[in-house]
Amino acid sequence: MSAAVRFRWGPTGVGVSLAFFVAAFLVIPVLKVILVAFQDPATGTFTWVNFQDFFNTSLFRESFWNSLYVAGMSVLLASSIAIPLAYFTTRFNFGGAVLIQTLGVIPLIMPPFVGAVAMQLLFGSNGSVNLLLDEHFGFTLPFMEGLNGVILVESIHYFPFILTNLSASLANIDRSLEESAQNLGSSGIRLFRRIVFPLAMPGYIAGASLVFLKVFDDLGTPLLLNVNKMLAPQAYLRISSIGITDPMGYVISVMLVLFSIFSLWASFLALRGRDYASVQKGGGGLLKRDLRRWEKSGAYAVILLILAFVLAPHIGLLLLSFGTVWSFAVLPDAYTIDHYLRVFETSSQYITNTLLYAGLAASIDVMLGTAIAYIVWRTGLPGRKWLDYSATVALAIPGVVLGIGYLRLFHGWQVPFSEQPLSSWWVILVIALSIRRLPYALRACVAALQQVSITLEEAAQNLGATTSRTVWRITVPLMSGGILAGFVTSFATAAVELSATLMLVGQQSDAPLAYGIYVFMQSAAGRGPGAALGIIAVVIVGLGTYLSHRIIEQSRRLRSSDRVIGEVDPTLE
Amino acid sequence: MSDSKSVSVKLRDVALAFGDNLVLRNIDLDIGAGEFFAFLGPSGSGKSTLLRLIAGFGPTPSGQVLIDGEDVARLPPWKRSVGMVFQNYALWPHLSVRRNVAFGLEERRLPAAEIRERVDAALDVVGLRDLADRHPSQLSGGQQQRVALARTIVIEPRVLLLDEPLSNLDANLRIRMRSEIRELQRRLGITTIFVTHDQEEANTVADRMAVLNDGVLQQVGAPMTMYDNPVNRFVARFLGSANLLDGETAAVPGGRVLQTGGALQIPLPDAVPEVARVTLMFRPQHLLLIGPDSEPASGTIRFTGHIQQREFLGNLIRYSVTLHDQTILFDQIHQLGAPSLTVGEQIELALPPDQARFLTD
Amino acid sequence: MNKLCWLRTLLIPLFATVCLSAQALEEKLVIVTSFPEDLTSVFQAAFEKQHPETKVEVLNKKTSAGVKYIQETAGTNTTDLFWVSAPDAFGVLKGKGLLQPYQPTSEGIPDLIGSFPINDPDRYFFGFAASGYGIMYNTRYLKAKRLPVPREWDDLKQPIYFGHVGMSAPSRSGTTHLTVEAILQGEGWDQGWATMKELAGNFKTITERSFGVPDGVNSGEFGLGIVIDFFSYSSKASGFPVEFVYPTITALVPANVGMVKEAPHPQAAAAFIDYLLSDEGQELLFDPKIQRLPVKPAIYAKAPPGLPNPFEDKSIGAAVTFDSDLSEGRYNLVNSLFDQLITFRIEELQAATKAIQEAEAALVEKPNPTAQELITKARGLIAALPVTETEASDPAFVAVFTKKRKKATDEVPQRQAEVEQRWDNFARSNYAEAEKLAKEAALLVR
Repeated sequence: MSAAVRFRWGPTGVGVSLAFFVAAFLVIPVLKVILVAFQDPATGTFTWVNFQDFFNTSLFRESFWNSLYVAGMSVLLASSIAIPLAYFTTRFNFGGAVLIQTLGVIPLIMPPFVGAVAMQLLFGSNGSVNLLLDEHFGFTLPFMEGLNGVILVESIHYFPFILTNLSASLANIDRSLEESAQNLGSSGIRLFRRIVFPLAMPGYIAGASLVFLKVFDDLGTPLLLNVNKMLAPQAYLRISSIGITDPMGYVISVMLVLFSIFSLWASFLALRGRDYASVQKGGGGLLKRDLRRWEKSGAYAVILLILAFVLAPHIGLLLLSFGTVWSFAVLPDAYTIDHYLRVFETSSQYITNTLLYAGLAASIDVMLGTAIAYIVWRTGLPGRKWLDYSATVALAIPGVVLGIGYLRLFHGWQVPFSEQPLSSWWVILVIALSIRRLPYALRACVAALQQVSITLEEAAQNLGATTSRTVWRITVPLMSGGILAGFVTSFATAAVELSATLMLVGQQSDAPLAYGIYVFMQSAAGRGPGAALGIIAVVIVGLGTYLSHRIIEQSRRLRSSDRVIGEVDPTLE
Repeated sequence: MSDSKSVSVKLRDVALAFGDNLVLRNIDLDIGAGEFFAFLGPSGSGKSTLLRLIAGFGPTPSGQVLIDGEDVARLPPWKRSVGMVFQNYALWPHLSVRRNVAFGLEERRLPAAEIRERVDAALDVVGLRDLADRHPSQLSGGQQQRVALARTIVIEPRVLLLDEPLSNLDANLRIRMRSEIRELQRRLGITTIFVTHDQEEANTVADRMAVLNDGVLQQVGAPMTMYDNPVNRFVARFLGSANLLDGETAAVPGGRVLQTGGALQIPLPDAVPEVARVTLMFRPQHLLLIGPDSEPASGTIRFTGHIQQREFLGNLIRYSVTLHDQTILFDQIHQLGAPSLTVGEQIELALPPDQARFLTD
Repeated sequence: MNKLCWLRTLLIPLFATVCLSAQALEEKLVIVTSFPEDLTSVFQAAFEKQHPETKVEVLNKKTSAGVKYIQETAGTNTTDLFWVSAPDAFGVLKGKGLLQPYQPTSEGIPDLIGSFPINDPDRYFFGFAASGYGIMYNTRYLKAKRLPVPREWDDLKQPIYFGHVGMSAPSRSGTTHLTVEAILQGEGWDQGWATMKELAGNFKTITERSFGVPDGVNSGEFGLGIVIDFFSYSSKASGFPVEFVYPTITALVPANVGMVKEAPHPQAAAAFIDYLLSDEGQELLFDPKIQRLPVKPAIYAKAPPGLPNPFEDKSIGAAVTFDSDLSEGRYNLVNSLFDQLITFRIEELQAATKAIQEAEAALVEKPNPTAQELITKARGLIAALPVTETEASDPAFVAVFTKKRKKATDEVPQRQAEVEQRWDNFARSNYAEAEKLAKEAALLVR
């Protein structure tokens, strides 16, 4: 609808370069890897026989069902954490809302390895909880046994996806919809179940499908818990084994990618025609009411309980980072700050590298995200939807596959003006991180763009601003809140990304935090410093998130501060 | 600010389609320099699309859009110097009032001092200089409207386009704003096109107006001319309450008559073209009540019917009167103490022949 | 750097030799290693001190990932040294022509440690330290669970250790592969696998990384782990309540270093190898965080108490004569077989083992020949193998796991997936049958 329909040169140029970027750094590397899945192991010709083998192998079939089971159960558990929290924040006036908002991010920034280690120390078969249970009650609970452990760790890690999406949906429900239901005699739980929750469904499905997808593809958690009868670990174990040229690892990767795309598509279908938020006037959110005193204490109790549970990995990590020795005991034997000293002495480059890489990657992400969002929603370029789809599909690409693809594709190329191969150049690592996190930033940017009324852009063009000037002066500033939110999500999750990192780090001086934690966690004396490094990562990312939330809030307040000021000003009416 | 030369806007055979859907057909229109012109039509008639087309938004139309004789149909919006005020004002929430108004001048790379001067002047024109540092969200609807106006006129556009600028205001404010806008336009002498669905609004401000329906231009003219002499049923009805009686023409000795239901025979003036179907159109307020002792002038068209419904409108009382199988409206000026007619009562009404219009379309 | 250069000019007379040799080196050295930071940082610091102009870049990767990395980047190699334990990994690289031979300057290193050859005969890689395999245990755990300290591998087969033992998989850990191979060579193919499976029946878990085993023992997730000795020594040095025993039958595992072909910094790489094998470098192995056995016998004079000397104590690692060629030939097959029979079917194996142990416990009370026979049969089923030793060393069969697609003539009769599915079926049905028989036996003596 906009003028860009008419004047295509600028957007076409940008669109083509975006398509080139996505092709070069996502599509081609991935194709290069998964091509092996379609090659006959003996002759190298095209074949489907590997897929026959996949379905004929009982191990893979079991792995597939296990992955499905774990992903499904994780969605259930994550929902049971997220739904009450979302309900409390949107229904009641009480001080816990900030707490819950913080909860929306902190679990996501748990660095790999350390989270599972901490959970094992707290909830493992001989972890703190079970040692206490055994001592006082004479029984233990298998929290972390086999698939249980994966489900537990994954739900705690990923439930914020549901929490944030669901809360946003609930906040967008027009109060009058609820009031008209009340007017017709519906109230309480029935009201929530019949009107409120169905209206919030799009948000819930969006969050839940993301959780499902991430869990289904996740490699780190099952590996750390030594669970290997799941698809992602099966793929990884095969791809990374010495000297094996077996195609099955790649076949599994293809299956992972296909299934993930399928579930994205399914959630897409489920959401179609249900986006009530855009039909409504979208004001006000639900009616909030004050809690009675006993209700308030009840609510706080529930929230604190969930909080303690959800922050268990962080609590465990904190104990680990300050503890001297923690072995077959409820708590560490003694406490020290030596681990932090050691990290600061020897490993500060991990921190600076992480800030640099995650910062760059997140910047690239919001730039790409904004550009793609603009091209898709504001221009009529042919094939623009495919740009969106392929960027989103990055969600479904396991990090290992991307890493190997990069090694294959880029190791023959030299960094300009140096002898170094492109594949071990740190910039490639940054690009890998940005591709991995692009879907998050893209969704945030699309949401932000959709909230910018198109007439605001037309007004600028009408006053003489060209398309690019309009984007720069009007669209981007108006999207800034969403862009910043996208930046934070990308930054926070890129800062703790491991799987692609592990494949692509070319030298230690280029390595980021996650890699440093991995290295520390490979030795007995490194457990404390590794945990300390993990806590530092959480603090850095948490602080960054908090600050940017402050900035977003401030700019929002500036923009929408009480209209009352103007309305009661009678002098000019 | 008012010394800019007024320009004309001409549309030549303009048509526009969204995909297969033809939204504007064969529009030919001349808008004179300095004229205050209104596009009037129901929603979906294409009036906003036509306005946006002049501003350069939407798909490229076929035909010519001539501003001051120059065809701009293929120019991007930012090269047209056509100022537009949007229905929702489209004020940028992240910029202060002053920055909003300065935007167009900044895009023209004018010196800062001149920008400041002109922004102040424009804010003075709309009386908002004191609020220059507020953000749009801190303003009332009327104030926002004025900022939008100031933002547009500050660039001294060749043509000013107003897209339903009053629709978001409450009734009293709307009336005040429309005379303010009219006053401003006179002062600036700028060619202005105003889109509205409200015929009262168009009537009060426009020099001339165009009525659109279904993407087709129905009639162009001054408000009163069009009210009095609509070219078709649509225009007649859209510009105000109208009684429309369809009928067939028949030749009778001494001329032709229009036969409508109920054996009503109305003599047709010679000027009415010879077609089979003709509609008699007249306004409810032009009917006269025939009292028991009064005798109307000769040639008067007479109706006899029952009062079916009575509506009190303040200045008027509106009666629905059932003739045989049709209902017409009859307005009576409300006067203190005057007796009113009651529902069910049989009355006789007279229409002076010079108030009757015959529509052949 | 500037500060160091300034120091150097000031102290030239003192460090003349160092500086001279240092001048010849490149300014960078890139090492891919699987060794923990505890080990690498010590050598890195010491080497950089001796060669201040060379910056050592350490790239930490799991052995298998390291091999993969060097293979994938071979076109434009950036790595100078490959520095890991498992000689098999070097064998793979050597086989693919990705290593470069070198003649170290150091002297006084014998050919064998225990019965294991220290260096590659073709001088492609060199042992610089040795470690023995054994049992690491958590003292608090054993005390709390009232478990005795095991002395021999066979002790770990006892029912009391059910669910208390951890180990890694050979496909995941190069050093674990050596242990398994040592047991296979020491006890023979069939008996070796039987032992392996009997041990595995008592496993709590099979960890994905070799460090997962000491980590699990350290934190008390499980009480005993089959690990390489230095994991235990360095854990103990870090304060964990752990101890280590060498069983009589153990392999001494050398830790190796080799130069990568077309290393970008060959002088620095050579200097690092020489430093590792020098008296000074060998002595660093006694660092409490490292605790590995030097390959230079003379250095043991300075060894800390408690560290065994395999050159004097011939019981360590002498029982097995390690055949590297044999190991290399069936490398991938052993990995795959272990995964199919044990790693992926650990739950089934545990269930069968539990059933047998319960039946045997019952049998002690009430002897019953029929039940005894059923149990023997069940044990036989668990021990059975889907592939014979001859097959396992048959190049044509092994090719299923190592084939390359590059040559069209490389026709392979079967695909790996087919073979693995067959083994998997074999393992599942045998374990299920064994569990059934053991339960029948238990019913008989009830």
